[in-house]
Amino acid sequence: MEKNSLIKRITGSREASLLLVLIGLCIIIQILSPSFLTAKSLQDMVKNNAVIMIMALGMLCVLLIGGIDISITSTLAVSGMAVGMLLKYNVIHNTFLLFLIAILIGAVCGATIGLVVSRGKVLPIIATMGFMYIYRGFAYLIAKSQWASAENLGDFKNFALEKELGIGLLNNVIVIVLLCYIIFFAVMKWSRMGRKIYAVGSNPEAAAISGINTMKIKLIVYTVMGMLSGLCGALSVAVYSSAQPNMLYGKEMDVIAACVIGGVSMSGGRGTVAGALLGSLILAVIAKALPLVGIDSIVQNTVKGVIILAVIILNVVAQRMMQKKNLKRREM
Amino acid sequence: MTDYVLELKGVTKIFPGVKALNQVYFNLKKGEVHALMGENGAGKSTFIKVITGVHKAEEGTILLDGAEVDFKGPKDAQAAGIAAVYQHPTSYPDLSVTENIFMGHEMIKRGIIQWKRMNQEADKLLKELNADFKCSDEMGNLSVAQQQMVEIAKALSTQARIIILDEPTAALTRNESEELYRIVDKLKASKVSVIFISHRFEDMYRLADRVTVFRDSKYIGTYQTDEITNSDLIRAMVGREIKDLFPKTEIRRGPEVLRIEQLSRTGYFKNISFKLHQGEILGLTGLVGAGRTEVVESICGITKPDSGNIYLEGRRLLIKKPADAMKEGIVLLPEDRQKEGLILSWGLGRNVTLPGLKKYSRRGVINEKMEDETAKGLLEEVDTKAVSIFDPASSLSGGNQQKVVVAKALSQEMKVVIMDEPTKGVDVGAKAEIYQIMGDLAKKGYGILLISSEMPEILGMSDRILVMCNGKLSGELSREEATSESILQYAMEKSEKDTERSLH
Amino acid sequence: MAGKSGRSISAQSEQNWKKRILSWEGVLVLLFLMVNLFCMVISPSYKPVNVLREMPKYLTEVFLLLPMAYILILGEIDLSVGATVCLSATTACLAGNAGVPFPIVLLIGILTGTACGLFNGIAVTLFTELPSMIVTLATMIIFRGVAEIALGSGGSVSLKNNQGFRALAGKIGPVPYIFFVVIIAAVIFTFMLSKTTFGRKLYAIGSNRKASYFSGIHVQKIRLLVYSVAGMMAGISAMFLVSVLYGANTTTGSGFELDAIAMAVFGGISTAGGKGKLIGAIISAFIIICLRIGLGQINMNPQVILVILGTLLILAVMIPEIGKNVKRKQL
Repeated sequence: MEKNSLIKRITGSREASLLLVLIGLCIIIQILSPSFLTAKSLQDMVKNNAVIMIMALGMLCVLLIGGIDISITSTLAVSGMAVGMLLKYNVIHNTFLLFLIAILIGAVCGATIGLVVSRGKVLPIIATMGFMYIYRGFAYLIAKSQWASAENLGDFKNFALEKELGIGLLNNVIVIVLLCYIIFFAVMKWSRMGRKIYAVGSNPEAAAISGINTMKIKLIVYTVMGMLSGLCGALSVAVYSSAQPNMLYGKEMDVIAACVIGGVSMSGGRGTVAGALLGSLILAVIAKALPLVGIDSIVQNTVKGVIILAVIILNVVAQRMMQKKNLKRREM
Repeated sequence: MTDYVLELKGVTKIFPGVKALNQVYFNLKKGEVHALMGENGAGKSTFIKVITGVHKAEEGTILLDGAEVDFKGPKDAQAAGIAAVYQHPTSYPDLSVTENIFMGHEMIKRGIIQWKRMNQEADKLLKELNADFKCSDEMGNLSVAQQQMVEIAKALSTQARIIILDEPTAALTRNESEELYRIVDKLKASKVSVIFISHRFEDMYRLADRVTVFRDSKYIGTYQTDEITNSDLIRAMVGREIKDLFPKTEIRRGPEVLRIEQLSRTGYFKNISFKLHQGEILGLTGLVGAGRTEVVESICGITKPDSGNIYLEGRRLLIKKPADAMKEGIVLLPEDRQKEGLILSWGLGRNVTLPGLKKYSRRGVINEKMEDETAKGLLEEVDTKAVSIFDPASSLSGGNQQKVVVAKALSQEMKVVIMDEPTKGVDVGAKAEIYQIMGDLAKKGYGILLISSEMPEILGMSDRILVMCNGKLSGELSREEATSESILQYAMEKSEKDTERSLH
Repeated sequence: MAGKSGRSISAQSEQNWKKRILSWEGVLVLLFLMVNLFCMVISPSYKPVNVLREMPKYLTEVFLLLPMAYILILGEIDLSVGATVCLSATTACLAGNAGVPFPIVLLIGILTGTACGLFNGIAVTLFTELPSMIVTLATMIIFRGVAEIALGSGGSVSLKNNQGFRALAGKIGPVPYIFFVVIIAAVIFTFMLSKTTFGRKLYAIGSNRKASYFSGIHVQKIRLLVYSVAGMMAGISAMFLVSVLYGANTTTGSGFELDAIAMAVFGGISTAGGKGKLIGAIISAFIIICLRIGLGQINMNPQVILVILGTLLILAVMIPEIGKNVKRKQL
C-alpha cells in the first residue's frame, strides 16, 4: 500500500518526474564524462547560473498570478550598472550596502511595473515590453558609454570568490541562491501570502469574492520580481566581475524557459518552487553537458527550444488523455 | 423561544425595474432538509443571495435563532454559519483538495500554515462524507460530483449550521446523485440544516421534509413533502394559464427533413435517433445535464460525435465543422447567446451578416451598402428594438439580443433551425414575440428543433416532444399525450418509484 | 412576416469628419506631422533626401508589423518573427555564397521564413490549448538556434558576391525600392483587413473566437494562414535586411518582434484582440522611424531613444484606460 502510493506519487507528480529526468541526465553525462560530478564542477555550474535560478523564483510568482515579465534583465542591468558606477567612482565600497542599493533600485523598478499592470490595467506583456526598453535605456544612461571592469570593482568582485557566508564551505553566491530558495519555499508553502498568490492565479474571480485584494497581490509580486532582479544585478557584477549596460541581454527568455520546463503554467495558478529549481537546473546541466559530451555548444539554444516545445506539447497530450479517461469513466 | 434556525419574513428585493423577490416568507428548522422549488426566474437564486449576504433586501427581516440579523456582506453570513454550495463549484482547479477546503481560513500557528493538521482535518471531513478521493488530489482532476463534495467539506470546515445546495444534482449522474443523497442524510443526522434547490422532483421526495414554492418572485406556500402530490406541486409552481402565451397554429406536417441515427459521443450521449419534418416544431427536453445541448452541438458540427449518421432530406451528411452544417442549411441558435451567438462588442448589423458574408461580397470584397441594407431588413423583420444597426449588441436586452440571433439565422439559407433555450433570460413580453417568430418559421416550412427546460414552453410550442435522460432518449410524446407529469417521469427515468410516491 | 410594428432601424453610419479627426488615427497623423516638424527643427540635415536614404534599415520592420497586426487582432502574439528574420537571412546568405543564382537565393530566403511561420501555425492549430506566446517563445529560441548552428563557430556570414542584393538595395531617383515594396504591402494588408471578408473574419475571431466558430468561420484555417504569412513576410524582411547589411549574424533581427508589437500597439491595435486599424499601426511605424532618424542625426544616444519609445508605448496603452476611469467617475 505504502509502496504503491510512493510509485504513484513519483509518476503522478511533475516535480518527481522532473527530478528523475535530472538524475537521468546527470548519470548519462557522468558516464560519458567523469569530470562532471565533482564538487567544483557542480559549484561552478550553480554559480554561473545563479542569476537565472534566482530570477526564476520571481518569474514563478509572476507566472502564477497569470502575468509575465520580460523586463527583468533590463532591471538587472540598471541595478548592476548602478553598483558598477558607484564602485568605479569610489562612492561606496561596502559590499552589503551595494547589495542593498541594488535591491532597492530593483524594488522601485518592479513596483512601477506593478502599478502600471494593476492600476493602469495594461497587459503584462505590453507593460513589461515598454519597461524593458526604458530600463535598458536607463542602464545605458547610468553607464554614460562607460563600463566597469574588474580593476574598478576592487573587493566587490571577491564576493563571488569567497566563502564567508558559507562558513568556509560554500561559495557566497551559492549561499544566496540557497537562501532565496529556502525563503520562497517557506513563503509559498507555509504563509497566507503564498496561498493568496496561488488563489489569484487559479481563479481570480473566486479569489476576489473571498476577499483577496488582487491588485495588491499583483503589485507585491511585481515588486518582489524587481527586488530579485536588483539582487541579481549586483550578483552578476560580482560573478562576471564587470558591469556593462547590455549585461544578460535576452536572458529573460531563459528564465521563462526554466519556469516552463519546471511545469509552471503560463496561464497562471500552477507551479511550484521545486519546479522552478528543477527547471533551471535542467537547463544549467544541459548547457554544461553539451560540450562535455562532445556536442558543440552552438547546438545549445536549439536543444533548449526543442525541450520547451516538447514539454508543453507533452503536457497538452497528457491533459487530453486524462480528459478522455474521465469521460470514459462517466459512461454508464 | 423559536424552533427555527432561520426565518425570513416579508422579504422584498428590488433590482432596477424588477421586483426579484416580493414579500417572501421562509423558515428552516434545525436538522431539517427544506426544498425550494420554482421555475427559472421565480426568484430562487435571488433568495439565496439575500440569505448569504451577497444582496441586501429592501424590506423584511431575517431572523437567525430568533434574533434579527443584518448581513453587510458574504463574510457576515459566513461568520453566522451559513454556507452555500453552488451548481458550478467556485473552486481553484489547480490546487489540492485540502487547499481548496481551507482557502481563506487556513489553520495558522505563529504565521505558519499547519499543513499536517489541515490534511488530517480534511481527511476526517472526507471520510465523514465517504469520499472516494484523497485530500492531496488535485481539484481540477475530480468529477463535478467530487468537487461538490469538496465544497460541502469546505462548508463543514467553517462549522456551518445552514448549508445551501443550489441545484446540486443538475450535473450529476444517477449514482453520483445517490451519493449526494447519502451525504445530505448524514448532514441531517448531525443536526445541520439544509436548503435544497432543485428542479428534480425526485430529489425533493427523496430528501426534503418540507418544500417551499416560489412563483414569479412571490411566495406561494410551504408544504409537507409527504402530503403534497406531484401534480399539486406542479400546479403550485407553474400556476398561470399558459395557453395564451403560445400562439400555436396548426401546420400541416411536411416530408421528413432531418433524420438522426444512432448518434453517440462518449461520456455525453448514446444512441440518439429521431426524425424531424418540415413545418414541425420538435421539442427536446430533459433535465439540465441530460445531454441535450451536446446532441445538437454534434449535429451542427461543433463537436465530433463518435458514431452515428445524420441525414438531410434522405441524404447522408458528413459534417466536420459548423460551416459544413450551415452550408447544408442546418442553423443553430446557441444556448449561450452572449458567448456563442453574438459578438457583443460589434454592431447589430455586423453580427447579422457574419455567417453569410459571401453573399454580400464579390471576390472577397465586401459590399458594405448591400450588407447594411440586408441587415436592416432582417432586423426589422424580427422587430428588434434598436435605434441603429451600428448599436453594439451588448447594449440590447436579452430578448432583443435573441432577436438579433434569429435575424442572423435568417440571413442564411436554411432548412432546419435548432433553437437551444431560446427564451433563457428573456422577459415575458419578448418571449411571446420569439414564440411568434418560431411559429412563423414553422409555417414557412422549416423544421424546428426546440430545446428547452421550461415545461410550459415545450408543452405550448411543440408538435412532438422528445425527452432525454442521462444521455439517452427516454421517451417520445405527442402533443396530445404530453403533460408536465409525463415529461418529468421520462426525464427522471421511469424505473424510479416516483409515481408511487406521488400517489402516496 | 408577423410582429411587424413598423419600427424602423437606421442603417446610416454616423461617421463624419469630426469623429474621424478625433479618432486615434487622427491623433497619430497630427503626431506624425509634429514629429517631422520637431526633427526638422533639431536637425538641419533632416531633409527628405537624407531621410529616404536612411530609411531602408528601419523599413524592414514594417514588413513584420503588417502580419503582426493581424496576429494581434486575432488576440494572439508571435514572438518568433525576429528569429525567423535571422534564419531566413542566414540561409539566403549561405545559399548566395554557395553560388546559387540570386532569384533562387531570394526564393530560399522567403521559403525559409514561410516554413518557420507554417511550423508556428501548425503548432498553434494542432494544440489549441497552448497560448501562442509560449509556442512562439519556444520556436523563437529554436529558429535562432538553428541559425546559430548554420552560421557555425564564427557566428556570422558576409556575402561574397552581393550583386543581386545590391540591386535589391537600389533606388528610383532618391526613393529606395524597399519603400515602394513596403507601401504596396501596406496597401494590400490594409485593403484585406478593412474591405474583405477575410479581414472581417479576423476581427470576428479576435473578438469572440467561440461565436466565430459557431458562425461557421474556419477559425483554425485562418490562424494557420496568418502565421504562415507572418513567416513569409519575415522572409521578405530578411531579404531587404541582407541587402542593407550584406550579411547575417546570430543577432540579426533580434528585438524586431518587440518593435513590431510596439508599433502596432502604439497604432491603437489592442493586444486583447478584435480592435484596431492597420492604418494607425502604419502611421505609428513612420512616426517611430522618423523620430529615430531625426534623433539619430543629432547623435542622440540610441538608448535615450529607447527610453522615449518605451514611455510612449506605455502611455499610449494607458491613456484609454485612464480616460475610461475619468468618465466613470464623472457619471
